[in-house]
Amino acid sequence: MSTRQSRTLIIENGSTCCAECKKAIAPAGTSWKSGAALSRTKVIDIPGSTSSTHPDVEIRHFSCPACGALLDSETALPEDPFLDDILTNK
Amino acid sequence: MDPITFSIIRHRLYRVVEEAVITLKHVSGSAITNEGHDLMVSLYEADGTLLLGGVGFLHHLTSAAEACKSIIRRFEGDVHEGDLFLLNDPFTAALHTSDIYLVSPIHYKGELIAWSACFVHVYDIGAMNPGGFAPEAQDVFSEGFSSPGLKLVDRGNLRQDVWDTLLNMVRGPEMVALDLRSMIACNNVAKDRMISLVEKYGLPTFQETCKTLVAQSEVQLRERLREFPDGSWESRQYFDVKGEVYKVLLKMTKKDDELIFDFTGSSPQSKYSVNCTKWASLGGLFAPLFPLLCYDITWNEGVIRPITVIAPEGSIVNCTKPSPVSVATVGAIQSVNNAACTTIGKMLASHEKYDDQTSAVWHANHFAVFMFGKNQKGGDAIGILTETFAGSGGARTFADGVDIGGEIPNPISRMANVETVEAMFPVRYLFRRRLQDSGGGGEFRGGTGGELALVPHDAPDGGLHYVLSGKGSQFPQSEGLAGGNPGAINDYVWVHSPESDHGHNCFSQSLSSIPGEKEAISWGVFPLMGKDALYVRWNGGGGVGDPLDREPASVVIDVINEVISPEAAREIFGVEIQGEKIDAAKTEKLRKSIREERLLSKGGK
Repeated sequence: MSTRQSRTLIIENGSTCCAECKKAIAPAGTSWKSGAALSRTKVIDIPGSTSSTHPDVEIRHFSCPACGALLDSETALPEDPFLDDILTNK
Repeated sequence: MDPITFSIIRHRLYRVVEEAVITLKHVSGSAITNEGHDLMVSLYEADGTLLLGGVGFLHHLTSAAEACKSIIRRFEGDVHEGDLFLLNDPFTAALHTSDIYLVSPIHYKGELIAWSACFVHVYDIGAMNPGGFAPEAQDVFSEGFSSPGLKLVDRGNLRQDVWDTLLNMVRGPEMVALDLRSMIACNNVAKDRMISLVEKYGLPTFQETCKTLVAQSEVQLRERLREFPDGSWESRQYFDVKGEVYKVLLKMTKKDDELIFDFTGSSPQSKYSVNCTKWASLGGLFAPLFPLLCYDITWNEGVIRPITVIAPEGSIVNCTKPSPVSVATVGAIQSVNNAACTTIGKMLASHEKYDDQTSAVWHANHFAVFMFGKNQKGGDAIGILTETFAGSGGARTFADGVDIGGEIPNPISRMANVETVEAMFPVRYLFRRRLQDSGGGGEFRGGTGGELALVPHDAPDGGLHYVLSGKGSQFPQSEGLAGGNPGAINDYVWVHSPESDHGHNCFSQSLSSIPGEKEAISWGVFPLMGKDALYVRWNGGGGVGDPLDREPASVVIDVINEVISPEAAREIFGVEIQGEKIDAAKTEKLRKSIREERLLSKGGK
């Protein structure tokens, strides 16, 4: 029996899992992003950016380490921590 | 009570607000009111409880409630039939000084039964910069006339001394007078219609309906919140002013039937006027909460009761007096709005039933360009470029965001026609159109923002000047959802007139083809003189889902329509296009390689 955490994540057998391939990424109720594959893209390198764009700001892409499904993205400066989204009653 | 009567009265209340809004627009002569719809009308119970939030800028619904309550406290024992009060002090209730609240008690047979309140962004408020947004202000005392509450109309009689004093402190007093008269008319219409309503159904039925309406909203929201899993969701907004970077951090915690919005960790208050007060933060977070979470619930005090806000004093989301706040409505308030939009969107997406109600962030970087100077007829003119109200829609979970699709906190906003602006100011548009590659990538992409360029035209003084403010041009702010990219970033470029007579900008159709030295700007007062040009681009909405999951055919259509570039098709969406057709084999290979690249780096910090 699985329950939904987000559009891309489910909770199953006490773990936060990829909704696509069911791979367990982290224990449920904890920060799951450290268990995901992480790639970073500088915003200034993305089509549509301008010369005014902050040179360090990046988009972090968190993907399933098994199937590569994109699980979440966030905008961040390199020194800032991951944004945590945690369900506490599942 | 009888559900039919309840429903009829509820709908009548909506019509009261609607008719009052129409009155406001008919009387006001300002583009920001008539074109931008930077206005709000709402109804309150006798004790100031928000009864029915109306249309317009939703940031104001809770602040105007506090304005009512503040007036009730300040004028206890001195509130009479026919009175009308003015309040615009940000540290009492308002968002910034130029958004004036006019608050009107509504009496029936001598008894105070309700209040109506409205606001418009007045033509000018006497701040150090024309138009009310004062990027050069160092404190709230430089941001114009500010009142924690005064009686403008006493028992139906305009207080001429107060009226004259107020208009003596502003530029364009005739336009400010029109703004104030529009709000007086608006409140009069609301009052008349409310009294008619009470006469028809009787005071006890009316009052019972009001209590039921507020209680019903609270019950409905609490029931809805209980449907979601308990948990916490975080979001972060960056913005910049003159090279200084600010953050608004939000952790939204849902437990049982309550929500806590905690802004701990947000930047300290700024020396610049992007700060907001605690009332403004409250308004900022309720603006997306009302339409996203309460789309079928009456917007009133009942919705506010399950919500707790933590905004550390001295921070950019709860600044202390005399911090400057005149840019708050396009500064920290909107960052609060954006951050709340993201966390609410994430919570909605945690429940399949509400998946189709969630949205990426819309038009996150509302900006302000106030032009001022002599118009074509030699008169004084001050006014905003209303393109900022045109916005951009965030992507949904089932469709792209709407191009130039408005903004969450003001569902009725829009921009003026080019011809309207050119008739009011001595300027000419070189172009105005959708901005390529501005919608955030995703399975469903964000709606595009736009771009425009202006040059002086037929200006008696050779041009004019403008006040520019907002949240800078360094950071994307329209966050995506479920892997979607944020929308592209705002940018403002001052093209200095070339020294030689060579190079005419008459028919330039892109920033790069406008002759002259280009200087990136984002904050301050600048000239638009001679052959100068002003280029503005505004952000797109955030995307939803993985861009690699977007239908290749949709990507091709976007390229053909110049909504995205071939480069973006390839790099963001992994789609290879030959001519106007998809190269299926190359697309499959490219998407596979991008997915594989994602797996190369494992784990974060």
